[in-house]
Amino acid sequence: MKNRGRTAFIVTYLAPAVLLYGVFVILPVLQAVGYSLFKWSGLSSKKTYVGFDNFKQLFHDDVFWQALLHNAWIFLFGGSAILIVAIAVAHGMQGESRATKALRSVYLFPNIMSLVVVAILWEFVYDPHIGLLTSVMKLFGGGATHRSGAAGIDTSILGSPTQALPAVIVTFVWFAVGFYIMLFSAGIRQIPQEVAEASKLDGAEGLFRFRKITLPLLWSVGRIAVIYLVINTLNVFALVFLMTQGGPDRKTEVMLTYLYEQAFVNSDYGAATALAIANFVIVMAVSGIVLRLTRKDPTGVSH
Amino acid sequence: MKTRVLAFCSASAALGLLMAGCSGGSNEPAAGGSGNGKDLEVVSFQGGFGIEFFQQAAKEYEAKHPGDHITVTGGPRVWEQLRPRFANGTPPSLTWPGWGMDYWALIYDNQVFPVDDALKTPAYDGKGTWKDTFDPSLLKLGEYKGKQYELPYHYNIMGWWYNPDTFAKHGWTVPKTFKELLDLCPKIKAAGMAPLTYQGKYPDYSIKGFLFPWVISIGGIKAADDAQSLVPGAWKSDAFLQAAKMVKQLRDAGFFEDGASGLSHTQSQTDFLEGKAAMIPCGTWLESEMRKTMPPGAKMAFMLPPVVDGGKGDPSAIMIGIEPWIIPTSGPNHDLAIDFYKYMTSLDKAKQFITQCGTLTAIKGSDQITLPPLLVEPAKLFRESKTVYSIQFDTWYSTLGNESKNAMEALMNGSNTPEQFVDRLEAAAEKVRQDKSKPVHTMTH
Repeated sequence: MKNRGRTAFIVTYLAPAVLLYGVFVILPVLQAVGYSLFKWSGLSSKKTYVGFDNFKQLFHDDVFWQALLHNAWIFLFGGSAILIVAIAVAHGMQGESRATKALRSVYLFPNIMSLVVVAILWEFVYDPHIGLLTSVMKLFGGGATHRSGAAGIDTSILGSPTQALPAVIVTFVWFAVGFYIMLFSAGIRQIPQEVAEASKLDGAEGLFRFRKITLPLLWSVGRIAVIYLVINTLNVFALVFLMTQGGPDRKTEVMLTYLYEQAFVNSDYGAATALAIANFVIVMAVSGIVLRLTRKDPTGVSH
Repeated sequence: MKTRVLAFCSASAALGLLMAGCSGGSNEPAAGGSGNGKDLEVVSFQGGFGIEFFQQAAKEYEAKHPGDHITVTGGPRVWEQLRPRFANGTPPSLTWPGWGMDYWALIYDNQVFPVDDALKTPAYDGKGTWKDTFDPSLLKLGEYKGKQYELPYHYNIMGWWYNPDTFAKHGWTVPKTFKELLDLCPKIKAAGMAPLTYQGKYPDYSIKGFLFPWVISIGGIKAADDAQSLVPGAWKSDAFLQAAKMVKQLRDAGFFEDGASGLSHTQSQTDFLEGKAAMIPCGTWLESEMRKTMPPGAKMAFMLPPVVDGGKGDPSAIMIGIEPWIIPTSGPNHDLAIDFYKYMTSLDKAKQFITQCGTLTAIKGSDQITLPPLLVEPAKLFRESKTVYSIQFDTWYSTLGNESKNAMEALMNGSNTPEQFVDRLEAAAEKVRQDKSKPVHTMTH
């Protein structure tokens, strides 16, 4: 009797949340799975059932693989850069002096900016005529690997087939790194004072202490950071869409810009939702792999 | 209007959907008028021309037809709001959905009401049928399988622009042929200017401004028609290969502005207006698009792209484009939508549109007024042209359209040779031919 009352109590309190989650999260996801089995323009109610054709097509679509590869580059290069910079800066910014506090907010600055602003800002940096970076490049006599014919140096970075993706990655790192600095700063602050002091007493200093004490104790924070990076880099959209629209010649195409093209340019909602599901599965799978690979904490705590 | 303000991110797209979701309810025309008055909802793309002209027309129409109530709303990315409304079966009665809408997907899905019967009825002015009031070469662009789906209102003329003052100052003559262009370019470079710039981030400008004019000049209009009709081999015909080689020749000679491959449409157009480049391909919307940012004293004049010496094509060939209006099949009150559009296409309103918005309209005789100065030359060239054509393949077959843009970028930044370029186009055309889910159109002249 008492137990049933308790169950009813729990159910009453859980129901609204579960209901909302079901209606606004689970249901749309299931709906998307449904759409991926149809040929649908997204412009009428006319849908034709095609089974797994959309997935088969996706699997044989070179553009999709090219886009996925670009996502992977962003994860590998952008992600590593973010991790290295974030850990280094967080380590260097320990303590609560006024300077470190000020620095912390400076690093977080790009993160609170709208992505639209970030994209426009960096388009200026890369501008062929007035761009900060292009001006520096010109100062050093070019540096661009691709030339506009015999005429000399083409200073267009975002229009270059070899430089556009690195340029986008740099912008991504600049934008995202602040959050990871915060994350690692919090992680470092959570390292017990006793451990830090004990290691100091034992004579661990500088890089050695960082390598043997700080880094291993940041393991669990690092895992979270990598998972975040997987999600953020595989789902990158706005930055690329605004800066290059996937161009030139798809050299910066990522999964979600291609999804946008399939849905809104090609009016192929079935293909677009199939891509969305593939994206979802890939993010889940990569996250799972990362979690598994990093399960064993060097400090001996298993997660 | 190609005001491609792409300063929107996914968030705004999502917001658009949300807003569309909300407006599904609130866009119910307010109960206006009494008796047998009808309500009409008009949704228009809001670009450089604004929507004030259409709102004014709605007020005038209401005054003439008491009881009828017309609301005109719009937005710069209005197609994002219209998409879910079409999918829900609750579109407005009459719409100009803008350049971001996939018109042909709507037509294939029977979402667009064919207006053939209405075209046979008398024109608003009562002189002849409504059909007779349109320029036939523009009306033709909205046809599919013998039925009229899209209705043109204004049209753009595509060509090149130059600064007449600069040309006069240096004693340059406007190049009529490609050879003259090649002779002139070194002189322009010597004067410290780039001979040509282009909208590198939006390669469709180069497709329309360089590639197609030269394809037609070399191989005649049939070379372009065959390509747009997906005739096997047409995209890698000699005409396309030669035209692509001409683009490469200009590039290799350094006649394009440095860095143009990374410029947006407004950036390159600003460079042109600031005198960094002598010529630029663009449509007749150039002035209205740049009006706000134009440097004082900047001048521009229209010219046809230089033709190829000894080419098969008609040197008077001119490229135009329409941004049509449609009547959604499931929208209410087709009759009123048609009647209101008839009013908008009456000769007086069309003339007013030209004066007020600075662009030409598809209504015959509407250009018999004092045209805005920059339209005089293109309008004359249009009237005198024996070959008026339009680029439609990119909207008919979106995947080929995408690939043509990608390949054009690769050709212009040097990562593809002309041979690779035409092979890619032909391969993309072949893919469309294989895809039985979408129809192949035919274009003839």
